[in-house]
Amino acid sequence: MTTTIIKIKTQIGKNCITIGDGQKIYKALHKILTRNGTAILDFDGVEVFASPFFNAAIGQLLRDIEPETLNRHLKVESLSPVGTDTLHRVIENSKKYYGNPDYQKSIISLLQEYSEAS
Amino acid sequence: MAQTFFVPTINDSPSDFCQMFNLYNSIIHADSPIVLDFSRCNFLRPNAVAFLGGLAHTMQSRSKTLDFDWSTLHDDIQANLAQNGFLNHIGGFTTPWAGNSIPYREDKELNSDSIVYYLKTKWLQRGWINISPLLADTITTNLVEIYLNAFEHSKSERVFTCGQYFPQLDQLILCVADFGVGIPYNVREFVKRTKTGYDIKSDYALRWAFEPGTTTVGGMGRGMGLGILKNFIKVNEGNLSLFSHNAYVTIDKDAEKYMTHDCSFHGTIMHITLQCDETLYTLPEELSQKKMF
Repeated sequence: MTTTIIKIKTQIGKNCITIGDGQKIYKALHKILTRNGTAILDFDGVEVFASPFFNAAIGQLLRDIEPETLNRHLKVESLSPVGTDTLHRVIENSKKYYGNPDYQKSIISLLQEYSEAS
Repeated sequence: MAQTFFVPTINDSPSDFCQMFNLYNSIIHADSPIVLDFSRCNFLRPNAVAFLGGLAHTMQSRSKTLDFDWSTLHDDIQANLAQNGFLNHIGGFTTPWAGNSIPYREDKELNSDSIVYYLKTKWLQRGWINISPLLADTITTNLVEIYLNAFEHSKSERVFTCGQYFPQLDQLILCVADFGVGIPYNVREFVKRTKTGYDIKSDYALRWAFEPGTTTVGGMGRGMGLGILKNFIKVNEGNLSLFSHNAYVTIDKDAEKYMTHDCSFHGTIMHITLQCDETLYTLPEELSQKKMF
Protein backbone atom coordinates (compact mmCIF):
# COMPACT_ATOMS: atom_id res chain seq x y z
CA MET A 1 0.00 0.00 0.00
CA THR A 2 1.51 3.32 -1.06
CA THR A 3 1.36 6.53 0.96
CA THR A 4 1.10 9.85 -0.83
CA ILE A 5 2.02 13.07 0.96
CA ILE A 6 0.14 16.12 -0.29
CA LYS A 7 1.77 19.38 0.75
CA ILE A 8 -1.10 21.83 0.91
CA LYS A 9 1.04 24.96 0.93
CA THR A 10 2.69 23.86 -2.30
CA GLN A 11 -0.58 22.88 -3.95
CA ILE A 12 -2.80 25.75 -2.71
CA GLY A 13 -0.76 28.32 -0.78
CA LYS A 14 -0.88 29.64 2.76
CA ASN A 15 -4.61 30.49 2.63
CA CYS A 16 -7.07 27.62 2.20
CA ILE A 17 -10.35 29.38 1.64
CA THR A 18 -12.37 28.53 -1.42
CA ILE A 19 -14.41 25.59 -2.69
CA GLY A 20 -12.37 25.65 -5.90
CA ASP A 21 -9.12 25.07 -4.02
CA GLY A 22 -10.79 22.43 -1.88
CA GLN A 23 -12.02 20.66 -4.99
CA LYS A 24 -8.44 20.27 -6.28
CA ILE A 25 -7.44 18.49 -3.08
CA TYR A 26 -10.64 16.40 -3.08
CA LYS A 27 -9.94 15.07 -6.58
CA ALA A 28 -6.43 14.02 -5.63
CA LEU A 29 -7.56 12.46 -2.35
CA HIS A 30 -10.53 10.64 -3.82
CA LYS A 31 -8.35 9.05 -6.47
CA ILE A 32 -5.84 7.82 -3.88
CA LEU A 33 -8.38 6.59 -1.34
CA THR A 34 -10.64 4.76 -3.79
CA ARG A 35 -7.57 2.84 -5.01
CA ASN A 36 -6.89 1.67 -1.49
CA GLY A 37 -3.95 4.03 -1.02
CA THR A 38 -3.11 6.15 1.99
CA ALA A 39 -2.75 9.91 1.98
CA ILE A 40 -1.16 12.39 4.34
CA LEU A 41 -2.31 15.99 4.12
CA ASP A 42 0.55 18.17 5.27
CA PHE A 43 -0.66 21.64 6.30
CA ASP A 44 2.75 22.95 7.31
CA GLY A 45 2.92 26.68 6.56
CA VAL A 46 -0.83 27.10 5.98
CA GLU A 47 -2.17 29.96 8.07
CA VAL A 48 -5.82 30.71 7.27
CA PHE A 49 -8.69 28.31 6.66
CA ALA A 50 -12.33 28.61 5.81
CA SER A 51 -15.10 26.06 6.02
CA PRO A 52 -15.84 25.95 2.25
CA PHE A 53 -12.30 24.71 1.60
CA PHE A 54 -12.65 21.87 4.11
CA ASN A 55 -16.19 21.07 2.97
CA ALA A 56 -14.94 20.56 -0.57
CA ALA A 57 -11.55 18.98 0.17
CA ILE A 58 -12.43 16.62 3.00
CA GLY A 59 -16.11 16.80 3.97
CA GLN A 60 -17.39 15.48 0.67
CA LEU A 61 -15.15 12.38 0.89
CA LEU A 62 -17.86 11.11 3.24
CA ARG A 63 -20.26 10.97 0.31
CA ASP A 64 -18.89 7.60 -0.79
CA ILE A 65 -16.14 6.61 1.62
CA GLU A 66 -16.85 5.19 5.08
CA PRO A 67 -15.56 7.11 8.14
CA GLU A 68 -13.58 4.07 9.31
CA THR A 69 -11.79 3.85 5.97
CA LEU A 70 -10.96 7.54 6.16
CA ASN A 71 -9.63 7.15 9.70
CA ARG A 72 -7.30 4.40 8.51
CA HIS A 73 -6.21 5.88 5.20
CA LEU A 74 -6.19 9.63 5.62
CA LYS A 75 -3.91 11.45 8.02
CA VAL A 76 -3.63 15.17 8.68
CA GLU A 77 -0.38 16.72 9.85
CA SER A 78 0.77 20.16 10.99
CA LEU A 79 -2.72 21.60 11.07
CA SER A 80 -2.98 24.65 13.33
CA PRO A 81 -5.47 24.71 16.23
CA VAL A 82 -7.91 26.95 14.36
CA GLY A 83 -7.63 24.73 11.28
CA THR A 84 -8.29 21.68 13.43
CA ASP A 85 -11.30 23.31 15.03
CA THR A 86 -12.77 24.29 11.66
CA LEU A 87 -12.08 20.84 10.20
CA HIS A 88 -13.76 19.06 13.12
CA ARG A 89 -16.89 21.19 12.71
CA VAL A 90 -16.95 20.50 8.98
CA ILE A 91 -16.53 16.75 9.45
CA GLU A 92 -19.30 16.61 12.04
CA ASN A 93 -21.63 18.49 9.70
CA SER A 94 -20.65 16.36 6.70
CA LYS A 95 -21.23 13.13 8.65
CA LYS A 96 -24.77 14.28 9.32
CA TYR A 97 -25.27 15.55 5.77
CA TYR A 98 -24.06 12.40 4.00
CA GLY A 99 -24.72 9.84 6.72
CA ASN A 100 -28.27 10.68 7.64
CA PRO A 101 -30.82 10.61 4.81
CA ASP A 102 -33.17 12.62 7.00
CA TYR A 103 -30.68 15.39 7.68
CA GLN A 104 -31.70 17.56 4.75
CA LYS A 105 -35.32 16.96 5.69
CA SER A 106 -34.50 18.17 9.20
CA ILE A 107 -33.09 21.41 7.78
CA ILE A 108 -36.29 21.90 5.83
CA SER A 109 -38.43 20.99 8.84
CA LEU A 110 -36.63 23.72 10.75
CA LEU A 111 -37.97 26.07 8.09
CA GLN A 112 -41.42 24.71 8.73
CA GLU A 113 -41.00 25.39 12.42
CA TYR A 114 -39.93 28.95 11.63
CA SER A 115 -42.75 29.47 9.15
CA GLU A 116 -45.30 28.43 11.75
CA ALA A 117 -43.74 30.85 14.21
CA SER A 118 -43.79 33.63 11.60
CA MET B 1 -32.36 70.31 -11.17
CA ALA B 2 -30.33 68.48 -8.55
CA GLN B 3 -32.00 67.32 -5.35
CA THR B 4 -30.05 67.71 -2.11
CA PHE B 5 -30.08 65.04 0.57
CA PHE B 6 -28.55 65.66 3.99
CA VAL B 7 -26.40 62.94 5.49
CA PRO B 8 -27.16 62.71 9.23
CA THR B 9 -24.76 61.81 11.99
CA ILE B 10 -24.49 58.06 11.76
CA ASN B 11 -23.41 55.87 14.62
CA ASP B 12 -23.89 52.09 14.72
CA SER B 13 -27.12 51.41 16.62
CA PRO B 14 -30.03 49.78 14.75
CA SER B 15 -31.71 53.18 14.44
CA ASP B 16 -28.56 54.55 12.79
CA PHE B 17 -28.67 51.73 10.27
CA CYS B 18 -32.32 52.55 9.66
CA GLN B 19 -31.41 56.16 8.91
CA MET B 20 -28.86 54.94 6.36
CA PHE B 21 -31.34 52.58 4.72
CA ASN B 22 -34.04 55.26 4.52
CA LEU B 23 -31.59 57.70 2.97
CA TYR B 24 -30.47 55.06 0.47
CA ASN B 25 -34.02 54.13 -0.53
CA SER B 26 -34.95 57.79 -1.05
CA ILE B 27 -31.87 58.43 -3.16
CA ILE B 28 -32.01 55.41 -5.43
CA HIS B 29 -35.69 56.06 -6.22
CA ALA B 30 -35.21 59.76 -6.98
CA ASP B 31 -35.40 60.78 -10.63
CA SER B 32 -33.20 63.85 -10.48
CA PRO B 33 -29.42 64.12 -9.96
CA ILE B 34 -28.49 63.92 -6.27
CA VAL B 35 -26.17 66.01 -4.14
CA LEU B 36 -25.11 64.71 -0.72
CA ASP B 37 -24.70 67.46 1.86
CA PHE B 38 -22.75 66.65 5.07
CA SER B 39 -23.37 69.90 6.94
CA ARG B 40 -25.75 68.15 9.39
CA CYS B 41 -23.39 65.26 9.97
CA ASN B 42 -21.13 65.35 13.02
CA PHE B 43 -19.84 61.80 12.91
CA LEU B 44 -19.64 58.87 10.51
CA ARG B 45 -18.80 55.41 11.74
CA PRO B 46 -17.19 52.81 9.42
CA ASN B 47 -20.61 51.32 8.65
CA ALA B 48 -21.62 54.65 7.12
CA VAL B 49 -18.41 54.89 5.11
CA ALA B 50 -18.78 51.39 3.67
CA PHE B 51 -22.45 52.09 2.97
CA LEU B 52 -21.79 55.42 1.23
CA GLY B 53 -19.25 53.64 -0.97
CA GLY B 54 -21.90 51.10 -1.92
CA LEU B 55 -24.43 53.85 -2.54
CA ALA B 56 -22.01 55.65 -4.88
CA HIS B 57 -21.38 52.45 -6.80
CA THR B 58 -25.09 51.60 -7.02
CA MET B 59 -25.88 55.04 -8.44
CA GLN B 60 -23.05 54.78 -10.94
CA SER B 61 -24.14 51.31 -12.05
CA ARG B 62 -27.68 52.66 -12.61
CA SER B 63 -26.28 55.61 -14.61
CA LYS B 64 -27.59 58.05 -12.02
CA THR B 65 -25.76 61.17 -10.90
CA LEU B 66 -24.59 61.39 -7.30
CA ASP B 67 -22.31 64.21 -6.22
CA PHE B 68 -20.69 64.46 -2.82
CA ASP B 69 -20.49 68.08 -1.70
CA TRP B 70 -17.13 67.74 0.00
CA SER B 71 -17.17 71.42 1.01
CA THR B 72 -19.89 70.62 3.56
CA LEU B 73 -17.79 68.08 5.46
CA HIS B 74 -16.81 68.96 9.00
CA ASP B 75 -13.03 69.05 9.40
CA ASP B 76 -12.71 65.96 11.59
CA ILE B 77 -14.91 63.88 9.28
CA GLN B 78 -12.94 65.11 6.29
CA ALA B 79 -9.72 64.08 8.04
CA ASN B 80 -11.15 60.63 8.78
CA LEU B 81 -12.40 60.10 5.23
CA ALA B 82 -9.06 61.27 3.88
CA GLN B 83 -7.15 59.00 6.19
CA ASN B 84 -9.14 55.86 5.34
CA GLY B 85 -8.89 56.50 1.61
CA PHE B 86 -12.59 57.13 0.98
CA LEU B 87 -11.97 60.64 -0.36
CA ASN B 88 -9.27 59.33 -2.61
CA HIS B 89 -11.45 56.50 -3.87
CA ILE B 90 -14.66 58.44 -4.46
CA GLY B 91 -13.36 61.96 -5.01
CA GLY B 92 -9.99 61.19 -6.52
CA PHE B 93 -8.06 63.44 -4.17
CA THR B 94 -5.98 63.29 -0.99
CA THR B 95 -3.62 60.39 -0.51
CA PRO B 96 -4.64 58.25 2.49
CA TRP B 97 -2.31 57.73 5.45
CA ALA B 98 -2.04 55.30 8.34
CA GLY B 99 -3.91 56.32 11.49
CA ASN B 100 -6.68 54.77 13.54
CA SER B 101 -8.72 54.26 10.39
CA ILE B 102 -8.66 50.98 8.56
CA PRO B 103 -8.57 51.59 4.81
CA TYR B 104 -11.83 51.76 2.88
CA ARG B 105 -11.94 48.91 0.40
CA GLU B 106 -14.01 47.68 -2.54
CA ASP B 107 -13.77 44.12 -3.82
CA LYS B 108 -15.07 43.23 -7.27
CA GLU B 109 -14.38 39.53 -6.82
CA LEU B 110 -13.35 37.08 -4.15
CA ASN B 111 -9.58 37.40 -4.08
CA SER B 112 -9.01 35.49 -0.87
CA ASP B 113 -5.26 36.20 -0.64
CA SER B 114 -5.87 39.94 -0.95
CA ILE B 115 -8.67 39.88 1.65
CA VAL B 116 -6.56 37.88 4.09
CA TYR B 117 -3.67 40.33 3.59
CA TYR B 118 -6.02 43.25 4.27
CA LEU B 119 -7.47 41.70 7.43
CA LYS B 120 -4.07 40.77 8.79
CA THR B 121 -1.95 43.78 7.93
CA LYS B 122 -4.38 46.70 7.59
CA TRP B 123 -6.83 45.75 10.29
CA LEU B 124 -5.34 43.41 12.90
CA GLN B 125 -1.58 43.71 13.03
CA ARG B 126 -1.10 47.43 13.22
CA GLY B 127 0.33 47.40 16.72
CA TRP B 128 -2.87 48.33 18.52
CA ILE B 129 -3.41 44.79 19.72
CA ASN B 130 -0.51 42.85 21.11
CA ILE B 131 -1.48 39.93 18.99
CA SER B 132 0.35 36.69 18.30
CA PRO B 133 0.53 35.41 14.73
CA LEU B 134 -1.53 32.40 15.82
CA LEU B 135 -4.34 34.60 17.15
CA ALA B 136 -4.19 36.74 14.01
CA ASP B 137 -4.66 33.58 11.95
CA THR B 138 -7.55 32.52 14.20
CA ILE B 139 -9.37 35.85 13.91
CA THR B 140 -8.74 36.04 10.17
CA THR B 141 -9.98 32.47 9.69
CA ASN B 142 -13.26 33.43 11.33
CA LEU B 143 -13.73 36.78 9.61
CA VAL B 144 -12.92 35.61 6.11
CA GLU B 145 -16.22 33.69 6.28
CA ILE B 146 -18.00 37.07 6.03
CA TYR B 147 -16.55 37.66 2.59
CA LEU B 148 -17.31 34.15 1.42
CA ASN B 149 -20.94 34.65 2.37
CA ALA B 150 -21.09 38.05 0.73
CA PHE B 151 -19.65 36.85 -2.57
CA GLU B 152 -21.31 33.47 -2.77
CA HIS B 153 -24.85 34.30 -1.76
CA SER B 154 -25.47 37.99 -2.36
CA LYS B 155 -25.21 38.19 -6.16
CA SER B 156 -23.62 41.56 -5.46
CA GLU B 157 -21.27 43.17 -7.97
CA ARG B 158 -19.02 44.40 -5.20
CA VAL B 159 -18.36 44.15 -1.50
CA PHE B 160 -17.54 47.30 0.49
CA THR B 161 -15.46 47.34 3.67
CA CYS B 162 -14.36 49.89 6.20
CA GLY B 163 -13.06 49.69 9.74
CA GLN B 164 -11.78 51.71 12.61
CA TYR B 165 -9.75 51.36 15.78
CA PHE B 166 -11.19 53.22 18.78
CA PRO B 167 -8.35 53.71 21.30
CA GLN B 168 -10.56 54.89 24.18
CA LEU B 169 -12.77 51.82 23.90
CA ASP B 170 -9.88 49.58 22.88
CA GLN B 171 -12.11 48.12 20.21
CA LEU B 172 -11.66 47.19 16.58
CA ILE B 173 -14.57 47.54 14.19
CA LEU B 174 -15.05 46.00 10.78
CA CYS B 175 -18.04 46.60 8.56
CA VAL B 176 -18.71 44.65 5.35
CA ALA B 177 -21.62 45.59 3.09
CA ASP B 178 -22.97 44.10 -0.08
CA PHE B 179 -25.78 45.50 -2.17
CA GLY B 180 -27.08 42.19 -3.44
CA VAL B 181 -30.27 40.24 -2.86
CA GLY B 182 -30.02 39.73 0.91
CA ILE B 183 -30.28 36.66 3.13
CA PRO B 184 -34.11 36.55 3.43
CA TYR B 185 -34.38 36.48 -0.38
CA ASN B 186 -32.01 33.51 -0.61
CA VAL B 187 -33.85 31.63 2.13
CA ARG B 188 -37.22 32.27 0.45
CA GLU B 189 -35.86 31.11 -2.92
CA PHE B 190 -34.64 27.96 -1.18
CA VAL B 191 -38.11 27.50 0.32
CA LYS B 192 -39.63 27.79 -3.16
CA ARG B 193 -37.32 25.04 -4.39
CA THR B 194 -38.44 22.77 -1.54
CA LYS B 195 -42.04 23.25 -2.78
CA THR B 196 -43.23 23.33 0.82
CA GLY B 197 -45.06 26.61 0.50
CA TYR B 198 -43.70 27.90 3.79
CA ASP B 199 -43.86 31.61 4.42
CA ILE B 200 -40.78 32.82 6.27
CA LYS B 201 -40.49 36.26 7.81
CA SER B 202 -37.16 38.02 7.43
CA ASP B 203 -36.08 37.72 11.08
CA TYR B 204 -36.76 33.97 11.03
CA ALA B 205 -34.84 33.69 7.77
CA LEU B 206 -31.82 35.25 9.49
CA ARG B 207 -32.24 32.94 12.46
CA TRP B 208 -32.30 29.92 10.15
CA ALA B 209 -29.22 31.15 8.30
CA PHE B 210 -27.24 31.37 11.55
CA GLU B 211 -28.07 27.78 12.53
CA PRO B 212 -25.09 25.46 11.94
CA GLY B 213 -25.40 23.34 8.81
CA THR B 214 -28.27 25.23 7.19
CA THR B 215 -27.55 26.16 3.61
CA THR B 216 -29.45 27.30 0.56
CA VAL B 217 -26.80 25.69 -1.67
CA GLY B 218 -26.97 21.98 -2.40
CA GLY B 219 -24.34 19.53 -3.55
CA MET B 220 -22.29 19.09 -0.39
CA GLY B 221 -22.46 19.66 3.35
CA ARG B 222 -22.26 23.42 3.81
CA GLY B 223 -23.64 26.25 5.85
CA MET B 224 -20.96 26.44 8.52
CA GLY B 225 -19.67 30.00 8.00
CA LEU B 226 -22.18 32.11 9.94
CA GLY B 227 -22.36 29.54 12.72
CA ILE B 228 -18.56 29.53 13.09
CA LEU B 229 -18.49 33.32 13.13
CA LYS B 230 -21.31 33.46 15.71
CA ASN B 231 -19.48 31.06 18.01
CA PHE B 232 -16.25 33.03 17.67
CA ILE B 233 -17.97 36.30 18.57
CA LYS B 234 -19.68 34.79 21.62
CA VAL B 235 -16.62 33.04 22.99
CA ASN B 236 -14.39 36.07 22.55
CA GLU B 237 -16.74 38.74 23.90
CA GLY B 238 -17.15 40.62 20.67
CA ASN B 239 -20.41 41.61 19.12
CA LEU B 240 -21.97 41.24 15.73
CA SER B 241 -24.87 42.94 14.02
CA LEU B 242 -26.21 41.89 10.66
CA PHE B 243 -28.90 43.75 8.74
CA SER B 244 -30.73 42.36 5.71
CA HIS B 245 -34.13 43.36 4.33
CA ASN B 246 -36.35 44.48 7.22
CA ALA B 247 -34.61 42.29 9.80
CA TYR B 248 -31.49 42.30 11.87
CA VAL B 249 -29.62 40.16 14.34
CA THR B 250 -27.42 41.20 17.24
CA ILE B 251 -25.10 38.68 18.84
CA ASP B 252 -22.82 38.98 21.86
CA LYS B 253 -21.67 36.66 24.62
CA ASP B 254 -24.95 37.01 26.51
CA ALA B 255 -27.62 37.07 23.84
CA GLU B 256 -28.65 36.41 20.28
CA LYS B 257 -31.58 38.52 19.13
CA TYR B 258 -33.43 38.38 15.83
CA MET B 259 -35.74 41.30 15.14
CA THR B 260 -37.53 43.27 12.49
CA HIS B 261 -37.70 47.04 12.15
CA ASP B 262 -39.54 49.64 10.09
CA CYS B 263 -36.94 50.05 7.39
CA SER B 264 -35.43 47.82 4.78
CA PHE B 265 -32.26 47.34 2.78
CA HIS B 266 -32.14 44.85 -0.09
CA GLY B 267 -28.53 43.79 0.58
CA THR B 268 -26.66 42.68 3.68
CA ILE B 269 -24.45 44.62 6.03
CA MET B 270 -22.36 42.98 8.73
CA HIS B 271 -20.84 44.93 11.59
CA ILE B 272 -18.29 43.30 13.90
CA THR B 273 -16.71 44.68 17.07
CA LEU B 274 -13.74 42.90 18.62
CA GLN B 275 -11.98 43.59 21.89
CA CYS B 276 -8.29 44.46 21.66
CA ASP B 277 -7.30 42.47 24.73
CA GLU B 278 -5.56 39.28 23.73
CA THR B 279 -6.19 37.72 27.14
CA LEU B 280 -9.92 37.59 26.31
CA TYR B 281 -9.37 35.28 23.39
CA THR B 282 -9.70 31.54 23.62
CA LEU B 283 -7.67 29.65 21.08
CA PRO B 284 -8.90 26.30 19.85
CA GLU B 285 -7.15 23.24 21.19
CA GLU B 286 -4.19 21.62 19.45
CA LEU B 287 -4.75 18.77 17.03
CA SER B 288 -5.87 15.85 19.13
CA GLN B 289 -5.06 12.27 18.42
CA LYS B 290 -8.71 11.26 18.46
CA LYS B 291 -10.29 9.88 15.34
CA MET B 292 -10.98 12.58 12.79
CA PHE B 293 -14.02 10.96 11.21
